[in-house]
Amino acid sequence: MFRLQGSKVLAVDMTGDAVKAKNGSMVAYDGQMAFKKMSGGGEGIRGMVTRRLTGEQMTVMEVKGHGTCWFADRASEINLVGLQGDKLYVESSNLLATDAGLRTGTSFTGMRGASQGNGLFTTTVEGHGQAAIMSDGPAVVLRVSAQYPLTVDPGAYVAHQGNLRQSFQSGVTFRTLMGEGGGEAFQIRFEGDGLVYVQPSERNTIAGDV
Amino acid sequence: MSHYPGAGPAVHDPATLPSDDNVNSYTFCVELKGSQWFLQKGKMIAYYGSIDFNGIGHGRLDRLVRTSFHSPLHASDWVVAAGSGKMLLADRAFDVNSFDLEDGNLTIRSGNLLAFQPSLALKQSIVPGFLTLIGTGKFVAASNGPVVFMEPPIRVDPQALVGWADCPSPCHHYDHGYMTGVMGGLRALTGLGGASGEEHQFEFVGAGTVLLQSTETLMAEQATGAVPPDAGVPGSGGAHTGPSQTAGTPRLPGQLGDLQRRFGL
Repeated sequence: MFRLQGSKVLAVDMTGDAVKAKNGSMVAYDGQMAFKKMSGGGEGIRGMVTRRLTGEQMTVMEVKGHGTCWFADRASEINLVGLQGDKLYVESSNLLATDAGLRTGTSFTGMRGASQGNGLFTTTVEGHGQAAIMSDGPAVVLRVSAQYPLTVDPGAYVAHQGNLRQSFQSGVTFRTLMGEGGGEAFQIRFEGDGLVYVQPSERNTIAGDV
Repeated sequence: MSHYPGAGPAVHDPATLPSDDNVNSYTFCVELKGSQWFLQKGKMIAYYGSIDFNGIGHGRLDRLVRTSFHSPLHASDWVVAAGSGKMLLADRAFDVNSFDLEDGNLTIRSGNLLAFQPSLALKQSIVPGFLTLIGTGKFVAASNGPVVFMEPPIRVDPQALVGWADCPSPCHHYDHGYMTGVMGGLRALTGLGGASGEEHQFEFVGAGTVLLQSTETLMAEQATGAVPPDAGVPGSGGAHTGPSQTAGTPRLPGQLGDLQRRFGL
């Protein structure tokens, strides 16, 4: 059972079940806990090789026991995501913890990843349960529906879930090269039905200055 | 909401997003209905609807720039958002706040100003590193921690100052009793004997409002553009201007200059 204690600490109450969390993110625990490093995110040999190849490495530990365990990472804001059989796409660096029952994997993101400077692949979380994702400043959750497509700055994108199509928009024109661009040359457009998480801060991206 | 139970505190869509107000302390939502906003490059994080972002140098915007923008060399840091929809603004997870000006004027540190309505005119302030907004309209400013509003007369720490409205008299203030004399000079120069770090303040008097941020960590400064190198223009670096005058006076051999004066010799 995930719950937030304040906005920067995740508390997980466990009764013999397990969670997967970012390696080293435990800040305190109460009760009996066992920590086990999971190579390759616990996705087996194939997952491990895939992660190595795609650059979406994440070091994950499995925490199992009875009691409460608290997680935090560099005072990042934490957001809880409930998954009902749908898929969450998140950068591996933004993923803090997931229920052990959720499957994680990697997926190809295309130009969005490239424009973020995070590589071409992203992490997926799938199944029924809860996940905790991190953002720089509290994330704003925006709904995308058929009549309301959403456009997001790659530097502020954190995660998305649901049945969404993403397309990459480039506004690079002659003016950009003249140094008079609009400052928002690269954008990701989401269409379909789902939720997008954006943070009130922009990572440094190659697109940030044009 | 029923679709994704437990999906965080609140899910926003164009209907629930506020119009020209804060979504939370760190995110501001602007509603555009065929109107325009000026914003600093790269502060848009997401938008619904169809919005165009154009550099100030865009030919179509010449008239707008002429009427509400008076800092030509600074223009490349600003973009104009035009179209219809709702747009979210944020700046490095700093606190953002909107302020309304009614036929007023406000001077603000250049790094703190995020966006403003074109009904306001943006001008360089005479004080280097500051910008002045004049007119009626709304603007959005970022600050390191929440903003505090104070009434003059007040003396403030230079690093905590965000800006001021309607006060004509920002000036430096030094605690002379503490700074002068031999001991005071030693204290100020070396920090030995207890320099409090608060010997220098900005002083405001008269009617108006002073805006302070609740930390002394400055936000990165944005270039405000150069001023013409005329005599008498502060910050222009021209000859015989402003504070550099005393430093430029010739010094006789054996004189310690500023140091000497500081020690009261």
